[in-house]
Amino acid sequence: MKTVAKRIVFAVILALAAGLAYGAFLPSPEKLTLKNGITVYYLKSTDLPLISFRMWIKGAGYVDEPAEFEGMASLTSTLLLKGTTSRNADAIAEALDFMGARFSVSAGDEYAGINGESLAEHFPKLLEIAADCLRNPSFKEDEFVKERKTRIDSLKAVKDNPGAAIRYYFQKAYFGSHPMGHLSSGTETSLNKLSVAEVKGYYQKFFRPERSIAAVVGDIDKAKLLELLNSTIGAWNASGAAAPLAPVPALPKPKGAKLLLIDKPDATQAYWVLGAPGYAVGDAMTPQATVLNTLFGGRFTSWLSTELRIKRGLTYGASSSFQTWTAGGLFNASSYTRNEKIGEMLDITFGLLKKVRQDGFTPEEIESARNYIQGQFPPTLEANASKATAYARLAFYNLGFDYYDKYLAAIQNVSQATAKDAAGKLIPETDFVLVVVGKAADIKQQLEKFGTWTERKITDPDFQ
Amino acid sequence: MLKKSWLVPLAILSCSLILPAAFRKEDVRVFKLDNGLKILLLEDHDIPNIALYTFYHVGSRNERPGLTGVSHFIEHMMFNGSKKFGPGEFDRKMEFAGGSNNAFTGDDMTGYTDWFPAAALEPMIEMEADRMQGLLLDPKVLESERGVVASERRMSVENNNDSILSENVRATAIMAHPYHWDVIGWMSDIQGWKRDDIMNYYRTYYSPNNAVLIVVGDFNSARALELIKKYYSGIPAGPPPPAVTTVEPPQMGPKNVVIRKEAQAPSFEMVFHAPNCTSPDYCPLAILDLVLMNGQSSRLYRRLVRDEQLAINVGGGISETIDPQLFTFSVKPRPGADLNKIEAAIEDELGKVKSAGITEQEYQKALNMIRGQFYFGLQTISGKANQLGAAEILYGNFETLFTQMDKYAAVKREMIQEATKKYLTENNKTVGKLIPEGGVK
Repeated sequence: MKTVAKRIVFAVILALAAGLAYGAFLPSPEKLTLKNGITVYYLKSTDLPLISFRMWIKGAGYVDEPAEFEGMASLTSTLLLKGTTSRNADAIAEALDFMGARFSVSAGDEYAGINGESLAEHFPKLLEIAADCLRNPSFKEDEFVKERKTRIDSLKAVKDNPGAAIRYYFQKAYFGSHPMGHLSSGTETSLNKLSVAEVKGYYQKFFRPERSIAAVVGDIDKAKLLELLNSTIGAWNASGAAAPLAPVPALPKPKGAKLLLIDKPDATQAYWVLGAPGYAVGDAMTPQATVLNTLFGGRFTSWLSTELRIKRGLTYGASSSFQTWTAGGLFNASSYTRNEKIGEMLDITFGLLKKVRQDGFTPEEIESARNYIQGQFPPTLEANASKATAYARLAFYNLGFDYYDKYLAAIQNVSQATAKDAAGKLIPETDFVLVVVGKAADIKQQLEKFGTWTERKITDPDFQ
Repeated sequence: MLKKSWLVPLAILSCSLILPAAFRKEDVRVFKLDNGLKILLLEDHDIPNIALYTFYHVGSRNERPGLTGVSHFIEHMMFNGSKKFGPGEFDRKMEFAGGSNNAFTGDDMTGYTDWFPAAALEPMIEMEADRMQGLLLDPKVLESERGVVASERRMSVENNNDSILSENVRATAIMAHPYHWDVIGWMSDIQGWKRDDIMNYYRTYYSPNNAVLIVVGDFNSARALELIKKYYSGIPAGPPPPAVTTVEPPQMGPKNVVIRKEAQAPSFEMVFHAPNCTSPDYCPLAILDLVLMNGQSSRLYRRLVRDEQLAINVGGGISETIDPQLFTFSVKPRPGADLNKIEAAIEDELGKVKSAGITEQEYQKALNMIRGQFYFGLQTISGKANQLGAAEILYGNFETLFTQMDKYAAVKREMIQEATKKYLTENNKTVGKLIPEGGVK
């Protein structure tokens, strides 16, 4: 049924919590080693007859794509399910659907992720199919052509939805030619240059068992699981040499205000995203930055939400977040409002950015944020899949399985002073990227005071 | 692609079969206060948190022209001040205590969903009880919140072509019943609601006898019941809300909607009048929905997305609603796709079901999907609270949750074919097309 919700879901805590946890809620997993060397973190959980599986393949995300292969990681991930030497695409889809299972392979930023979840009775079949897709993909020309066309068509269609399209424009505007500027989906231009032969080569060099880790949480015994894994994922052996993975270059730091306006003449609302440098995964600043973001734009009573939504009714949603990677991170804030209010909304936002740098937060605000982060934490690790993801993430980034205990303890120690210090370091003053998507004719004049804008049409090719 | 950002999936495709020890009917404790408030308590001590869900029997189904969208607006105003807690205080106190919340409004129900650490149970119950009867509707706050909802409508409908089409198709297919309008309401109503009318609507539907309280998580049942009695017992029962009496007249021929606007890609939707969730025809059509549109092996995904390359995605299905609503085929066409071919392909696939039914393999697959969905929805305390609440509102009894799978398993394959012939007919059909003007070819 259709429902309309009170608010956008504040994904910040959850997104971070893909990387946060608590000793009591994240039991230490058992470490299993498969015959091909893959490490699997395992926890038995018998509450429900379900099993969750996660596998992260380092280097098979878009950050490590060769420059000329934008979109390759994601395309290859999808094509893995489009046929093996013994099953065609329809047979794979049929087998997965028949179990009522959830299964996906998708390219993230620094890794490709395999997510599987099924009733315990179907888990052997799920793993068998997963391993078949990983070990024996056929990469047929017709499937490649079909999938590429679907992607190009989807990229065109996304421009009808300004709230979604602005994320693509922002990523390009902020990261430019840096590998983090690769759109996971690719662009029409980049996809048209790819060939099925290149997909095969890319798969062979970048999808590697020796760079994979896995996690299993659910209703299965260790001995049985180990046997099952060894006959499936554990039998995956790559051929030839792996592509060397170069360290990701330092993330770009904007100098001055980089302003980009995308004209969408039928938009009745103007959308904006502002971004500036953040911090890397596991940075010691994480606890104070999390408190800072919670109060600035990470929950319903945050400053952004209070000033833009609650007090003035300018928007349905206003929020901020930090995203973190190995090479660095990103702060971003975003919202939208009716065309005639965009200037006022941005003025208020810049006022808040300035205020948080200058004044920081009250002791009561700090206490509230600490309570909120602690209180909202346990549900983020409640389900099997959440625990499995946490194991994969902690292992992938070498954070240690006690990371969340330390993190939550550190949250309790965040003070007015350390939060203000974090704001001084992380909240932009003059150096940032700001992208607006809206009806230029109605909003251009209001935007002039913020500086010189580069203007593009939404119908221009790709997302430049 | 077809998902609207404000859709909160209720995942009430529910079933039973072998239920795990962690979720048994016997573990749900049921109480009713003298004022009619129904209470479901389910202890679950896996994490030190509680999900407190309050479902009211009110949704856009209860509205009338001029007041469309008001159920959803009241849901927003419920966070903007009640007798004991001023505007914004609910959220400030809740977040200070480590809690968060959301709320949603549907055609048939309004739900308030609170998630918090166990220690916050008493203040949360106190605040929920206070806003059940003491809403302020402060005029200044009301005007500001009106702007929020207008922005929400701009975001979710006006700047989303699929939603524009969907709203038009629904309003064309459903002529008389209040399902005619979308939950968000018409923009002129959003801009025109009067405070007195909003207050009357609130008083009519927000009473203990029109609500069910569901608590799942880390608490002691005796203590929770004591707290609920403390804060809710003093709230008087209200008169029973008026019944929704309008019955949608039968459609007597196909209808068409065409929208022309600037777009990169067209939109397409085809709908048929469908039975309500308690009809014996509901489960057969819910199975048909899965066979045709759920997963990459479904008939329409294979045909439209893979084989004929006409669409990027397909979605939709039958609405699980109190009164009869729609069976929807929502297709995202590729830019430049021939919409007539999409329509013909769906018709052709329906023709095949009408003449040959579905296969045993498809039938078993659908049952497996239903079973999987059910378990996936039980992994969290909030998932359990959600399923219990939705069953109460739609079926009047949470116990139906534990026998739903039996209902599906009792469906014979022929019944799916019969229901398709009965409902998915030419005279029962409305087709909507959004045709791009301008934009990239």
